[in-house]
Amino acid sequence: GNAEALVALLVLAALYYVEGGSLGKAAACYGLAVHVKIYPLTYALPIALHLQSKRHGGKGATGAGRRGKARFPSVGYLWQLFLNRDVLLFGTVAGSVLAALTIAFYYLYGWEFLEHAYLYHLTRRDIRHNFSPYFYMLYLTAESKWSFVLGLAAFLPQLLLLLVVSLAFYRDLAFCCFLHTAVFVSFNKVCTSQYFVWYLCLLPLVIPSIRMSWRRGVLLLSLWFVGQGLWLAPAYFLEFKGYNTFLLIWLAGLLFLFINSFILIQIISHYRKDAQVVEKPKQQ
Amino acid sequence: CGILDVQATCQDAIVTQQLLQEGFHRDLLMKVELGIMEEDIGGCTVAARIRLPPGIYVDPYELASLYQHNLTKEVLISDAVDVEAPEYLATDLVVLTYMKPDPQCSRCFRAALPVHGRYHRPAENNGEALVVLKSPEVLICCCDSRVSTECWKPSEVEAPCSGRNDYPCQWYSIKHKPVYEELILQVPVGLRQHNSLVCVVTLLSTVLCSSVILAAVCKYGHFS
Repeated sequence: GNAEALVALLVLAALYYVEGGSLGKAAACYGLAVHVKIYPLTYALPIALHLQSKRHGGKGATGAGRRGKARFPSVGYLWQLFLNRDVLLFGTVAGSVLAALTIAFYYLYGWEFLEHAYLYHLTRRDIRHNFSPYFYMLYLTAESKWSFVLGLAAFLPQLLLLLVVSLAFYRDLAFCCFLHTAVFVSFNKVCTSQYFVWYLCLLPLVIPSIRMSWRRGVLLLSLWFVGQGLWLAPAYFLEFKGYNTFLLIWLAGLLFLFINSFILIQIISHYRKDAQVVEKPKQQ
Repeated sequence: CGILDVQATCQDAIVTQQLLQEGFHRDLLMKVELGIMEEDIGGCTVAARIRLPPGIYVDPYELASLYQHNLTKEVLISDAVDVEAPEYLATDLVVLTYMKPDPQCSRCFRAALPVHGRYHRPAENNGEALVVLKSPEVLICCCDSRVSTECWKPSEVEAPCSGRNDYPCQWYSIKHKPVYEELILQVPVGLRQHNSLVCVVTLLSTVLCSSVILAAVCKYGHFS
């Protein structure tokens, strides 16, 4: 068992406080969350974008002097992003909390703490079977000269998607973080059931914004479970019966990726944040 | 049980080992039947020392948990175990497990050790790799019984064995006749010939999926 519930609580608390405007508390929860598990670090960009938009959003869509109107971020836009008072406050508090915790635990446990908490993730190569579509590819090429390049090739779609999702949906922080994590987990080089909790905990926040019929929702959910079931069957035979089902596991992993992508696209296309529809005039 | 040969003074112990269950997670069952004449071996501690090749490992946390619940006797492991490492990055492991008396016959001892197979290198043609387990070394230490140790060879063992007086006793290695010299564990492995197909199809699929999601985000997302 893993304390995923704890991280989920901290992430939800951070999002709650950001929405409520208590940036100090939000940053403290966020720093603590990153200390407990590293993945919330990816929320830094959506949170920064969100805070920056909240500051300027009140000025209206055509507000004069509104910065960051560019369709795609330029260097100037990014600079303004970091200079924003809220973003700086959040970053400073979260960074301090994280630094303080790191120092405290280093003092308590020494090098072993740093190694197991952070450094291990840099060099870890877990090639055992998991839901990731990359599993078999990484296993077969683990010792070849292509392994680094392939690892990088696996990282790029994930990175690109995370960036674009952040830019597209930062106004609704919960939805953005949900998509963020769902993409991160689905395209990650290692994917286990434990990771699903990371985005499932955000699903209740997101469901009200998704205009989807019950039937469609149930269908997508069933599809998700079927995808897992189809992977678990050959995996069981591999691990507990000793059959060579590597190809089947790989194909099931690919299928699961397709299913996850399909579900994500359905969620994105049925997303209707009413406030956004009202506030934004018809553009382009 | 073995036939007692009155001429011979030293009787070999008989060791059997079996791998129960299938797949990557097995139970290594070791049984020893001592060939000593004396009845009074109640005060003796019997242990099996086995050298596990890199293809197989024991999980120290699992063992600690089993020991805590009194399901197995204590197991001592020579080194730290990396449970995630593949076979080509792992090292041999020397494991010492205490054995408990087997109710099946007198002078019999048994121990069960949960072992796990590691991932091996992908193979060229054959989808299975073989892990060879040699038979264990049987060790005995008798502190409180007056058992003759002339048939046994003293051995260096880093394991506690103390008697009533609480001072450490000498460990001995028992000469034994294994029923099977080696035990073979078959582990499925990936096939190298799948390499190009898997790489190409995987990358194409992920690029396809990410492109489709990207398109949806660009279509439905609110930029600026």
